[in-house]
Amino acid sequence: MIFNESKDVPGNIMLEQAVRAEMQKAVTNRIEFLAEYLDASHFSDKEHFRLFQDYLGKKYAGQKLDLILAFPSRDYRLAGELPDALFPDVPVVFVAINEMEVPEAISKLGVTGIVQRFDIRGTLGLIMRLQPDTRRVVVIGGISGMDRATLGRIAEASQALEGVEFDFWTNRPVAELPGAVKVLPEGTVVLLSTVISDVNGQTFYMSQLAQTLAPAASVPVYVLGGWVLGSGVVGGSVVNSEDLGARAAQLALRVLGGADPEKVPIEVATKGTPTVDWRALQRWGIKESRVPAGGVIRYRPETLWEQHRDLILILLAVFLGQAVTIGGLLAQRQQRRRAEAEILNQRTELAHATRVSTMGQLASALAHELNQPLGAILRNAEAAEIFLQKEKPNLEEIRTILEDIRKDDQRAGSVIDRMRSLLKKHSLESKPLDLGGLLAETVTLAQADAHARRVNLTLQMPAQLPAVRGDRVHLQQVVLNLILNGVDAMAGGTEAGRLLTVRAETARDGSVEVAVSDCGTGIPPDKAKRLFEPFFTTKPDGMGMGLAISQTIIEAHGGKIWAENNAARGAVFKFTLPANDN
Amino acid sequence: MNLPPESGTVFVVDDDASFLKSVSRLLRAAGCSVQAFDSAEAFLEQLGPGMSGCVLVDLQMPGSNGLELQEALAKSANPLPVVFLSAQGDIPTTVQAMRRGAEDFLTKLSPKEKLLDAVGRALARGAEERKERGRLEELRGRFGGLTARELEVLEHVVRGKLNKQIACDLGINERTVKLHRTNLTRRLQVQSVAELTRLVEEAGLFKRGKAE
Repeated sequence: MIFNESKDVPGNIMLEQAVRAEMQKAVTNRIEFLAEYLDASHFSDKEHFRLFQDYLGKKYAGQKLDLILAFPSRDYRLAGELPDALFPDVPVVFVAINEMEVPEAISKLGVTGIVQRFDIRGTLGLIMRLQPDTRRVVVIGGISGMDRATLGRIAEASQALEGVEFDFWTNRPVAELPGAVKVLPEGTVVLLSTVISDVNGQTFYMSQLAQTLAPAASVPVYVLGGWVLGSGVVGGSVVNSEDLGARAAQLALRVLGGADPEKVPIEVATKGTPTVDWRALQRWGIKESRVPAGGVIRYRPETLWEQHRDLILILLAVFLGQAVTIGGLLAQRQQRRRAEAEILNQRTELAHATRVSTMGQLASALAHELNQPLGAILRNAEAAEIFLQKEKPNLEEIRTILEDIRKDDQRAGSVIDRMRSLLKKHSLESKPLDLGGLLAETVTLAQADAHARRVNLTLQMPAQLPAVRGDRVHLQQVVLNLILNGVDAMAGGTEAGRLLTVRAETARDGSVEVAVSDCGTGIPPDKAKRLFEPFFTTKPDGMGMGLAISQTIIEAHGGKIWAENNAARGAVFKFTLPANDN
Repeated sequence: MNLPPESGTVFVVDDDASFLKSVSRLLRAAGCSVQAFDSAEAFLEQLGPGMSGCVLVDLQMPGSNGLELQEALAKSANPLPVVFLSAQGDIPTTVQAMRRGAEDFLTKLSPKEKLLDAVGRALARGAEERKERGRLEELRGRFGGLTARELEVLEHVVRGKLNKQIACDLGINERTVKLHRTNLTRRLQVQSVAELTRLVEEAGLFKRGKAE
């Protein structure tokens, strides 16, 4: 691949890439591309060309080349003379950017190629489309025959645009032009044609003109050749570099495939595509929406999405992942809360159940055992009543009945004795006990129930309590029973006043005293004495066993239990447990 | 409590000797005929078709409890009404007992009025049911005297068929049908087809045939 201009001309880069890609696409084995740049726009003297040719000759001596792809611009020695001299047996395909510049002799050199024809009408159409207010078009061109031919086509095409003045700047040396384009008035645009020779006889490439004039111009600059895009010009309707490259590649493949270049006709690419530089649109405040459908906007910075598509996708995935995780955690938390609520609920029930179970079991067994003799006593008494109602009561019968009643009464007494001795001797454990821990645990257990009934339950105790011995389960029952009694006692009061305090302290004699103090209505004086009697209850659904059993338990531990009214409000139930001296 | 002498015996079943004695004493004092048993097994062993009255049973007993006694009794040929007594009854047991047709469910500490009232109702129901059972047995006995052919004819008659149809259905002479009908009404001591139908219904005969 031999290029006329430098590597840096944007159009060349696109063209080269397009050719490479297209060719590689068609061939399975790897094609090795070697590129050389004459850089004629910077070094235009004959000596430079000779050195370039010598350099290539030495560089590629002995190298097997399959094809020469020439990208001549103006100087067709690249497509003819040079390969002819250096690589006579290697077929040549050229890609030319201006049809006008292709020398007639080229076809005689036995090479083929593709040339592009400037889409002048299309470019003028694009100008009017992007800038409908355009009144004047300054056309910059040269004076050579080929320059004039192109200018002629422009002039011809300009006829179609009414009310737009065309100003052909051909008699000004290019050196003057940067100053001239700086002061062009609004409503004017510049169109760059070719300057193979200006009035001073100097040669300029279109890319040179664009790079010099476009940044300086006070008005938008348009071009005919697509390879110039990127130098500051707005654009034009140009042959697409990718299309041109692709077609050149097809041509090259045909030649590589064995087609005789002499017999392959030179192709002409005429289809212009409106192509603009996004940066120039911004500079001149031309809306992107004005670019016709099917047009190409180059150099637009990629949108955030285009630029960071992968990153955005990854971030989205991460966010999504996080969202899912967070969602999961939230669901989990909710589940846990539900579970906690359930546990709280169960604990409340448990508090009731444990009280009902131990107390209830005892009470139930007691009731059953007692109801047998009590029922017998009742029946006997009722029978006796009936006998006594008779005219001649059978006294012997009645005596027997009374005897039976007495026996059953003794039996009932023995039931209670048995129950007490059962508690004392068999079911009571006596182990060293952490009373503070037991109280804390019990208060925690009752807290749910207290909270549900809007009672403020607190525990007050010193860091150190004397060691005690006892039955953990039974003592817990006593404390729980006293707490729940206290809660029940405050059911009617105002919410603010529902304070229940469990207090533990060391008594003067070294024993531990536990007090459960409520703010309820207190104990009526007439009932104070009977509180601890079995079956005595002040609650509508009470069994009347709680305090009786509590008393049995505490006394079995060698302690005392009693109740009194608080000085201010409510009642306090206290029990003591002897310190464990061992 | 004034009970007619034929209302039967109160069979008291309780493992608590003291209570058994006292409640029996009370019931006797109230004018009941009483028979005491100290276990469900002892009572069920004695149970015979001739026993009339009701059962007063303790719910909780070692061995078979009150509910089991109730079940066995219901399956027997002499399903006497049951009144439960319990030292301490719980709701599920009570519900179960009542569903199975217990006359009442009382605690041992229920006042005597409640107890005697329940026993009175159970005895009355027992007598009523016994009377009903007797009548049914007597009826079935009457039907039992019929020959297989007479039963066939009877079935057709109570379904409202004419002699001609019956003769045709059974493949016998119409005169023979008439003869069977005469024998039928004589043996069953009825005057009309309507009465015959009522008797058949009461005795629960041909129930399946009707459902066809």
